[in-house]
Amino acid sequence: MIGPFTAQEFAVVETLHAAITGRARFRIRELYRCDSLKDHLERRLGADPSVISATANTLTSAVLLRYDSGATLGLIRSLVEKAVSEFNQSYESDIRYRLGKSDIADRRAQKNRFQRHSPSAAIPTALPALRVKGRTVEIPAAAPGSEPGQVLPPAIRHPSSGVGCLTYERPWHTIGAQAVVAACGGSAEAGLSSEVAREKIAAFGLNRFPEAPRRSKLQIFLNQLTSLPVALLGVAAGISVLTGGIVDAVAIMTVVAINSTIGFVTEDKAERTISSLKTLMHPSAVVVRDGARKRIDARNLVPGDLMIFEPGTYVGADCRLLEAARLRVDESSLTGESIPVFKEAEVIDEADIPLADRKNIVYMGTLVTGGEGRGIVVATGLLTEIGKLQAMIGETIAPQTPMEKQLNIIGNQLVWLSGALCALVFITGVIRRTALALITKTTISLAVAAVPEGLPTVATTTLALGIRKLNAHQVIIRDLEAVETLGEVQTICFDKTGTVTQNRMSVMRIFSGNHATELKQDGFFQGGKKISPRNSPELLQLARICILCGEVSGKEADQGSSTEKALLEFAVSAGLSIAEINERYPRIKTRFRTEDHQFMSTVHIAGTTERFLALKGNPVEVLGLCDTQLVGGRKLPIGEQDISTIEIENERMAGEALRVLGFAFQSAEDEEVLDGLSGLTWVGLIGMADPLRPGMKELIARFHHAGIDTIMLTGDQSPTAYAIGKALSLSRDMPIEILDSTSLTDIDSRALRALSQRVHVFARVSPAHKLQIVQALQDAGKIVAMTGDGINDGPALKAADIGIAMGHSGTDVARQVADVVLEDDNLETMVLAVGHGRAIHDNIKKSLHFLLSTNFSEIIVMFVAGAVGIGYPLSAMQLLWINLMSDIFPSLALALEPPEPGILERPPRDPKEPIVGRQDFKRIGIESSVISLATLGAYGAGLVRYGVGQQASTMAFQSLTIAQLLHAISCRSEKVSIYDREKLPPNRWLTLALGGSLGLQLLTFVVPGLRTLLGVAPLGLLDGAIIGISAILPLLVNEATKGEGERPNAENNGAYRKTL
Amino acid sequence: MKNNFMLTSESVTEGNPDKLCDIISDAIVDHFLEQDPYSRIIAECSLSASIVFIAARFASQAAFSLSEIARKVIGRVGYQGADFNARTSSVLTSIKELPLDPVYRFDERKLTSKQIAAIPAGNQVTTFGFACRQNVALMPLPIWLAHKLSRRMEEAAKEKILPYLCPEAKTDVGIEYRDRKPSRIHSITITASQKDAAKPALDKLRADIREAVIEHVFRDEPIRPDRRTEIFINPEGVFHLGGPSVHSGLTGRKTAIDTYGDYSRHSGAALSGKDPLRIDRVGAYAARYAAKNLVAAELADECEVQLSYSISRSHPESVQVETFGTGKIPEEDLTSLLQNHFDFRLAAIVRDFQLRRLPAMRQGGFYRKLAVYGQVGRLDLDLPWEKTDRADLLKG
Repeated sequence: MIGPFTAQEFAVVETLHAAITGRARFRIRELYRCDSLKDHLERRLGADPSVISATANTLTSAVLLRYDSGATLGLIRSLVEKAVSEFNQSYESDIRYRLGKSDIADRRAQKNRFQRHSPSAAIPTALPALRVKGRTVEIPAAAPGSEPGQVLPPAIRHPSSGVGCLTYERPWHTIGAQAVVAACGGSAEAGLSSEVAREKIAAFGLNRFPEAPRRSKLQIFLNQLTSLPVALLGVAAGISVLTGGIVDAVAIMTVVAINSTIGFVTEDKAERTISSLKTLMHPSAVVVRDGARKRIDARNLVPGDLMIFEPGTYVGADCRLLEAARLRVDESSLTGESIPVFKEAEVIDEADIPLADRKNIVYMGTLVTGGEGRGIVVATGLLTEIGKLQAMIGETIAPQTPMEKQLNIIGNQLVWLSGALCALVFITGVIRRTALALITKTTISLAVAAVPEGLPTVATTTLALGIRKLNAHQVIIRDLEAVETLGEVQTICFDKTGTVTQNRMSVMRIFSGNHATELKQDGFFQGGKKISPRNSPELLQLARICILCGEVSGKEADQGSSTEKALLEFAVSAGLSIAEINERYPRIKTRFRTEDHQFMSTVHIAGTTERFLALKGNPVEVLGLCDTQLVGGRKLPIGEQDISTIEIENERMAGEALRVLGFAFQSAEDEEVLDGLSGLTWVGLIGMADPLRPGMKELIARFHHAGIDTIMLTGDQSPTAYAIGKALSLSRDMPIEILDSTSLTDIDSRALRALSQRVHVFARVSPAHKLQIVQALQDAGKIVAMTGDGINDGPALKAADIGIAMGHSGTDVARQVADVVLEDDNLETMVLAVGHGRAIHDNIKKSLHFLLSTNFSEIIVMFVAGAVGIGYPLSAMQLLWINLMSDIFPSLALALEPPEPGILERPPRDPKEPIVGRQDFKRIGIESSVISLATLGAYGAGLVRYGVGQQASTMAFQSLTIAQLLHAISCRSEKVSIYDREKLPPNRWLTLALGGSLGLQLLTFVVPGLRTLLGVAPLGLLDGAIIGISAILPLLVNEATKGEGERPNAENNGAYRKTL
Repeated sequence: MKNNFMLTSESVTEGNPDKLCDIISDAIVDHFLEQDPYSRIIAECSLSASIVFIAARFASQAAFSLSEIARKVIGRVGYQGADFNARTSSVLTSIKELPLDPVYRFDERKLTSKQIAAIPAGNQVTTFGFACRQNVALMPLPIWLAHKLSRRMEEAAKEKILPYLCPEAKTDVGIEYRDRKPSRIHSITITASQKDAAKPALDKLRADIREAVIEHVFRDEPIRPDRRTEIFINPEGVFHLGGPSVHSGLTGRKTAIDTYGDYSRHSGAALSGKDPLRIDRVGAYAARYAAKNLVAAELADECEVQLSYSISRSHPESVQVETFGTGKIPEEDLTSLLQNHFDFRLAAIVRDFQLRRLPAMRQGGFYRKLAVYGQVGRLDLDLPWEKTDRADLLKG
């Protein structure tokens, strides 16, 4: 631990360069991003007579001094040192003051820091910065993968250095673009040289956040020992020792050891699974280095890098914009604001404004949704705004899931409840003048037995096991909570392309020059006759545009989307050479498709002065740009009738579920004329098929059966969407509702909320709209799952309750923010995952149910017997034994129950419903009463036959233990009883647990040591029969009364679903 | 019977949201019939908060894109503002596709009379047709003038005569009748929407519309506004933008504008958005045809024909003629004249008016043009039910 800093620690001045007399460069680490120190140094040093000029750079942490040749380097250096330490002293008191106030607010409050109108948002406050430092102290040791000798970011090596930067006197947004470039030592054109970049990485470290350290095994084990039950057991053991019961004490400590070991083993395994969720995936960034555009790993970004922003860019570091053209950025990851914000490069004069208002800064972790721009990286890693946030909320321990929290609450309530009951047992004992030591020991043991100490472990373990089970099915869960949420999913939104279709496009039909052309395996056909595309100028022109107007240019063509590939395939089959065409018409400009313009265009050199514009996109929009069309190689004016024919052909193709694109071109001498927005020449339509994946219709039906609504999202026009929606029966047997909108942003949010609940298909939407769809559905109270694979899908995946990334085709960003990754890209596994999610919840509930009902039965038996005054049926040792037998193995085995049949035929559970509701408590009360009654019956029989003593106690002990074990069978299902014809799938673990436990229980009769320890008396055959009957009877009774009062409810559910 | 009275009728331009819904509905009907004359289609539309809702049930072989049809209508009507336009508006379609029913896929041109009789009306419906000698179209004067004003409003906006106008406008014309004959213009009301709330000022707008619209329209009318005529232009002040971003619309809410401007009775059922096998639509055309021919044959100056159909019969259960005391022969005789010379059976109407074929025959659609400025009394469209080709037969 690094203690409070002293002024001496600051005085680290490193001489960088001093070869030329009169010039010296020093590095001062604290200078990094610290404008106040910069100002101080420049002012202070500049004032010294021997210094000619002093320039400090807050990004390179360097001070450049030109000084009188009369002065020595040593003198200059000491001047610098003095200035630095002066600065530090003046700041120290200030810092201490702030430190005192550093209570850590909760996560949400910290998040609010980024929101508008929050006054504290104005300045990156002291608290987060200090918090960063506080945490980072442990990180270097724990951060895996940090190479030895690697220079850590200044902030980390000198926890104090950032402190000087508490107040940014001149934040980046107030500095002019040129000054920023200069300050960063970068260049607005050529970017950094790779050499400088390397140096900077050495100086600033990689652009990443250190990983939070995992709990060590020892910590996990110690955690087992610091629980309330263990403390109680310790007290019990102490009392035993004091009252001379060494054997008892040893036995109690054995129980502690066993309990802790099992807890440790399961929790450690769970912990390992959970921490494996955090495998980070790294996005890339496009920067200019050595004057050329380069795609680099975003971890290698350094301050000063010139970054390029295009739609879909993941912003890898905080950047000050130099240029922005309609640049829109989704900052929801920072601000929660779903609507993308426009960014601009202009200087903002006001310093104290919220981060969200600093329009010329783009922040790490945000996404570019439109426009383009360039910017200089000003902060990386932990010094970025999101880095500060991350460090602040650093997740050392996985946050508790809602269920775990609920279980904790229930657990605590139970501690109090059983505590109160035990107190009652104690008081009645005192009143009845039982020996104090006996009552104390018994009461404590009862308390230990009654507290369901296994509860949180069961939950965590079950969730972790669920994750592993799903992993086996190619479903990667990236968030523990997701396992729970999976079972709650009410609506699933999925992309058409790649999810329900194979994403393997092929051109099927072309309509150009008033002719329909079919593409078949063996060539081009018009009206059933084979034709040669070489004789059709329209087909050749189409093929040419297909090659030229691609999202990926030239050589990378094979990396394009399936649509692009299909178009290129067509061009090749039409006899064109991709390489040749690309060479002959070099591309000089590309305009990508945007939300406003559903078409893309490229401009090419077609001659010395001639320029050629190739355009493709939404047929209707493209058609609207044309005033001529290509027919028989000639440009003819396009009339109303022609447009109508083309439109109907478009609809016809779309109605056959083809993805249809329209193609047009324009050529001119002057590039200026080529705006690509009017006066184009129409060439034709190309219809491509993307076959449905097999079994999709059945899959949709399975979702519907499981009470999950399905919503398909597609960029296709609505007829294509309709054709597929119909083929999939997306609307069950209701009319298919399609919302066709290119601008969901314009819809009133309340209207969208209402619409989202009706719509089966969103057509012509772009990935950027997904977020709005998710939020609209969530506003309507739905638990939403959303699939995605592109960079643009990031925000929506994050916002969705379950973000599903496609593992194979998905981008890193999508995988990084998703909760669930489907490795095989198969939505079918999602049904499986939902089933497992539901089963996991069920299983935790089953375990809980079992734990509660058995623990209550112990308390009731002891309390009733004590109150009636018939002695204590169970000794302290017996209680501990029961605790050991029932609380651990059967409850763990119940947590491993296979999904019940029909788990995918019922509606998703209400997320607001508590895990143990009022109805459940009632049921638990009844069941534990039945068990207690039977045990008391056996005890009564023992009393009648033998009077108070070991015999009667033995009968109660055996009866209760066996009845509890058998009760696990009843807890396997809430609805299915042992009398039902429908059988539950076998649970090997439960059989094993029950078999083992029953076997151990029988050993208590046989093994002499055990017998004496537990005080088991030899019994006759009749006693055995009584025990047997009293142990089995509760199971039979509880099974017979199961599900009563729930059946009509189930029918209601059915009726409700029908009306849906 | 009333003889001296004032009656006012309203008309709206294409830009009115209700009308826009009617046009979209009828454009859908056109689109289906153009490709497949045997299409059965019901299309209903509503507009709210700049979202277009279309519910369509159909049995057809046609290819379709309902949202594109809607967008095209919106574009043609002239909505281009950021608040509502063809490109960015959202369209919610609710589509129910029905199986093709061979019962309705008959070629009406080849049916025998017996076969026509076998095709029932399919609905309990009463429809009305009306005609009167108040102008060349044999339409009531108030609605005739209101439509004329509305057309001129559209022209003023589209031809940039008054370039600040938005597509939505509403006109009302009140006519004073003496002895059931129009005597003078009682009042004229025009509500015009404008692109910019501040420009032009109300005074300028009022002067412009008086000059460019009212004076222009009444130039060749026999009855013109007189000094007592009350003229209201935007009586409630400036109407900014108008259209679907301001108020909502629904198909079939402007049935008076579609027919006789409340001068005579009309059926409450919507006319737009229905295919020609819907008797409530085509029955209204047949009744107008009959009434117009009776007036053209000078058998009455004013005439209302009522056809009442029953669900299972092909011919109307009841044919009634009301002449408001202007009949030259008894009304019972007129009724029997009609029954002798007109075939009011559903399939016969469809056949005689070529109602399933016209969308493919006419450029730029057929029904969508009917949806605005009246489904009857149109001289600009060469409508079969506006022909007076049976007048001579009736006379003889």
